[in-house]
Amino acid sequence: MSENRQVRNLNALLDVAKALGGEMQLDNLLPIILQKTTEVMDADRSSLFIYDDTTNELWSKVAEGMGEKEIRFPVGIGIAGDVAKTLKTANIPDAYEDDRFNPAFDKKSNYRTKSVLCMPMINNDGSLVGVVQVLNKMDGGAFDDQDENLLEALSVQAAVAIQRAQLLEAFVEKQRIQESLKLAADIQMGMLPKNFPAFPERDDFDLFASIIPAKEVGGDFYDFFLIDEDHLCFVIGDVSGKGVPAALFMAVTKTHVAASTIPGVEPSDILFRANNELSKDNDQGMFCTIFYGILNTKTGEVHYSNGGHNPPYIVREDGTNEQVEGTMGIALGVMDEMDFGVNAITLKKGDSMYLYTDGVNEAMDIGGNEYSYERLEEFLTSTAGQKTTDIVAGSLSDIEVFVGNAEQSDDITVLMVKYTG
Amino acid sequence: MEIRDKKEGEVAIIEPVGRIDTNTSGEFEDKIVEVMDRGETRFVVDLKEIDYISSAGLRVFLMAAKKLKSSGGSFVLCSMSDHIKEVFDISGFTPIFTITPDQASGAEAA
Repeated sequence: MSENRQVRNLNALLDVAKALGGEMQLDNLLPIILQKTTEVMDADRSSLFIYDDTTNELWSKVAEGMGEKEIRFPVGIGIAGDVAKTLKTANIPDAYEDDRFNPAFDKKSNYRTKSVLCMPMINNDGSLVGVVQVLNKMDGGAFDDQDENLLEALSVQAAVAIQRAQLLEAFVEKQRIQESLKLAADIQMGMLPKNFPAFPERDDFDLFASIIPAKEVGGDFYDFFLIDEDHLCFVIGDVSGKGVPAALFMAVTKTHVAASTIPGVEPSDILFRANNELSKDNDQGMFCTIFYGILNTKTGEVHYSNGGHNPPYIVREDGTNEQVEGTMGIALGVMDEMDFGVNAITLKKGDSMYLYTDGVNEAMDIGGNEYSYERLEEFLTSTAGQKTTDIVAGSLSDIEVFVGNAEQSDDITVLMVKYTG
Repeated sequence: MEIRDKKEGEVAIIEPVGRIDTNTSGEFEDKIVEVMDRGETRFVVDLKEIDYISSAGLRVFLMAAKKLKSSGGSFVLCSMSDHIKEVFDISGFTPIFTITPDQASGAEAA
């Protein structure tokens, strides 16, 4: 190599290093690499194809009209595709002599490709980042060994810059997703009534509810409101699965259940209507177990329907407790036109109902033992006579103590309503 | 999770092992979909070696049963322990699934 050419190449590489060093955005980086490559290689044009390992394709952005469009093709197709597949440099004096060459682009753009130098861009860890392709050496001849060395030096720098930009993009994307998940969880929690005492003007009943959400956004919810002066509706539910789909389904369920609640209508009919709405177009098989009760605040009578939910407890004033009898019913969203049954029990003054999700009885300690119904029942017996606020808070802390350092995998939700006559 | 699958005559038999919960239900769903994509339409899921099913797991059963029903196939569950049966009973799912005592009767029902 002439000393002149060597110096020129070194300077060019330094230039490229400087140009690539400052750019962190992939969209800005690619044109810089292209421009520098064409310049340094003394070629007519160059292309960069980025490897997508999820689809085993190469993609590139090409100028089209005023804008640009993305082209994609599988590894193995054409010269660049073959280089990506074999990880071997292709140095071709005349493209038309090479059967991997596809002349379609030439025809479309009225271009004549002659010499081609195409090289894989490999990372430090040996993985493929993409393929760089240089077309038509300016002097009209073929690319030589020196050109290959130069392009290799260039592509090593480009690979590092591209990977750095990709990692940054992935990191930013991950953060964005985490932030939106956090936002989804906040919105979801914001849908639950949280102002307690919820009915400060009422002394005929007392109600408290609380939820400890799992780390990942889940699908537990509760709700309560007065249907009319003498009827308090209280609901607890648990949507299958986790994440944004569960959170969305929970929001829709809560809305449909509230919208189906009409004065004078039994819980079984309310769940029947809500279930028909939720079962429409529900191909993903999402569902929500639900317990729906209506307390007559004059008489203490509770009418309830259970749609596949863990049976709540009736807790007598003296602390004795038992699970309420089941009713006919299935989780909401499973299938439309399903019938629900209704049962009635009467709360005496001082009696209450304790509603919970399976995050309570299935809470696990580090040894894999479940909190269990037995421990819950003992707890309910031991807190006889306390206010709902204290029992619910005490219940959640009893679970927390039991779970210890084990990770909480499910939402834990408790709602308690006490009839005070 | 470990999920075995085999074919007995015209029936695809799936044998999951361990727990089908939030962490493993995705894997279980992928397996069912993979076997469906092979063109299988008659399914028996043998729950003999399953210790726990959460609501996330129930969702996969429901999705599979719905898909197969709409395409004229069948989806049968067999060999449930009492504990698993209880999960199906509480959620109200028992009446909407075909449940048999063992694999042989399951294959017959599928």
